[in-house]
Amino acid sequence: MNLSPNTYEAQQLFSQYCRDGVYKPIPGVNPARMEHYRRLVFNVVRDNLESTFPILFQQTDEDTWLFWVNDFFQHHNCQATQVWKMGEEFYQYALAQDWQTKYQLPHLRDLLLFEWTEMELYNMPDIPYPAVQAQGSWENNHIALNPEHRLLVFNYPVHQHATITETTTREGHYFVVQYREPAEGNILFVEVSAWLAFVLEQLHNGFTLQDIFPYAPALHIEVNELLVHNTISFLQDMRARKLVLGFAAEV
Amino acid sequence: MVGLGFRRDFAEELIEGKLITPDFVEFAPENWMNMGGYWRKMLHKVVDKYPVLCHGLSLSIGSPDDLDMPFLQQVKDFLDEFQVQLYSEHLSYSKCDNAHLYDLLPIPFRKDAVQHIVQRIQTVQDFLQRPIAMEIVSYYTPVAAEMSESAFIRDIVQQSGCKLLLDVNNIYVNAFNHQYDAKQFIQELPLDRVAYIHMAGHEQVSDDLIIDTHGEAIIDPVYDLFDWTIQHIQPVPVLLERDFNIPEMPALQEELSRLKQICAKHWPAKNELVA
Ligand SMILES: [Fe+2]
Repeated sequence: MNLSPNTYEAQQLFSQYCRDGVYKPIPGVNPARMEHYRRLVFNVVRDNLESTFPILFQQTDEDTWLFWVNDFFQHHNCQATQVWKMGEEFYQYALAQDWQTKYQLPHLRDLLLFEWTEMELYNMPDIPYPAVQAQGSWENNHIALNPEHRLLVFNYPVHQHATITETTTREGHYFVVQYREPAEGNILFVEVSAWLAFVLEQLHNGFTLQDIFPYAPALHIEVNELLVHNTISFLQDMRARKLVLGFAAEV
Repeated sequence: MVGLGFRRDFAEELIEGKLITPDFVEFAPENWMNMGGYWRKMLHKVVDKYPVLCHGLSLSIGSPDDLDMPFLQQVKDFLDEFQVQLYSEHLSYSKCDNAHLYDLLPIPFRKDAVQHIVQRIQTVQDFLQRPIAMEIVSYYTPVAAEMSESAFIRDIVQQSGCKLLLDVNNIYVNAFNHQYDAKQFIQELPLDRVAYIHMAGHEQVSDDLIIDTHGEAIIDPVYDLFDWTIQHIQPVPVLLERDFNIPEMPALQEELSRLKQICAKHWPAKNELVA
C-alpha cells in the first residue's frame, strides 16, 4: 500500500463515522457536512434490510428496528459486494447475537430464514432443469422436481403471516417448500406434512415412490391405498404449480 | 449517443421501446451479476435491443483495503456475458477496514493517494484487459486535502492511463458546494481523456448544500454547463441517470431528446459509443 498513515487514518475515521455516527475530528473536514454521509450510508443499509425482511420489519417497533440495523452495521463488517446479499449477513448476525433470546422472539430464527430464503431464491443463478417427459408412472418412474427449491423446517408458523403472538404460541414442526416458479421467477411456497416433506426430499435424492413407501412405517405411517392416492395427488397438484416438473427422461 | 441507466422500474418500457428510446443502456454490474430468474431474462432482452455500458459500484478504487480480485473476476465475467463496451467506476472508496459501506466516500486529495490509486487502476485495467473510465464523484466535504481536486484527478488520469467519466451534474454540485467555478475546473481536467459523460438531477437541501440524488429532472444550469462542456471534448456517449422518484416515460424521453439536441448542435458527427 502506498498510503501514508495520515491518509489511511483520515479514511478510517471517515468510514468509521459513517458506520457508528460518532464523529471524531478528521483533518480538513467540514463537520456540518458529515451528517449527510451518515444519513445516506445508513439509509442504504436500512432500506435494503427492510425490503429483505418486510414481515420482521412490520412486526418490530421502530426503536428496536433502528437499534438492530445500527448494531449490525456498526459491529459487523459487511462482506457482500452486492448489496442485496447483505440480508444473509444480517440473519447470521442476529443468530450470533442471540437476539432470539434477548428480545424473547422465539420465532426470530425461523422468520429470518424464511424471508432470506425468499430473497436468495429470487436472485440466485439459474440451476439447469433436468430433461423431463410428460408421461410416466408416478410410482415407478423417477420424478423430476424443480431444482430451484428449498425445504425449510420451522418450529413456528412464520410463513403464515400471523401476528407475533399467534406465531409464537403455536410451537410445533412446520415443513415449508419454497421454490422459484419458472414463468415469472416468482417465489412461491407450500406447507407440507412431515411425510410429504420426506417424500420430496427422497425424490430429490433420486428415489422413486416405490422406493420410498417402504420407509413409511418407520415414520409411524401406515402404507395403504389412501396414502398412495394422497401422495400421488399431491405430486400431481405440485406439477400444476411447477414444483414438480414431470417424469425424468429415461436415459 | 444518449443512453439511460437501467432501473427495474422501467425495464418493460425499455424492452418495449415505444415510450422510451435511448441509444444505449447502462447496467451497474453489482445489481445484476450472479443473478438468475426473471431479471436475468430481462437483462438478456435489454442486451438484444441495446448496446450496453457498465458502471460499477463496489470496486472501491480509493480504499486502503486490498483490491478484491474474486469480485473483479465476477465483473469480468459479467462484462463478457453481456458484451459490455465500456466499464466505468468511481474515484472514491466504499470499503474500509474490511467492511463495505455501499456508498461513495471522498478520497483525500493527496499525493500518496494518487500513487495508491494509479497502481490499483493499472492492476484493474490489466486484469480486465481494457481501459476503464473513472468518474469524478460528488462530495460534500474535502478530507485532509493537500492538493487541488483537479490536480489530483489530472495526476491519476495521466499516470494510470485510464479514461475519464465526466459527470457534469457532479461538477455542478461540487462547484456549488465548495464554491468554485465549474468551467474553470473543467478546463483544468485532461479533457482529451474523457470517454463518457453522465447527466442527472439533484436536490438542494440548504442555502449552501446540494445533494446528488439522481431523483429529480436535470435543471437548466446543468444543461447549460453540459452545452458548454461538450464544445471542449470529442464526441462520447452521454448517459441520463435517474435512480429515484421515477417520472412518467414521456418526461424521461424529453430529457433524452434535449440532451440529443445539444449533442447534435456541437457534435456534427454521430458520437460513437466508444471514443
Ligand atoms: Fe454519475
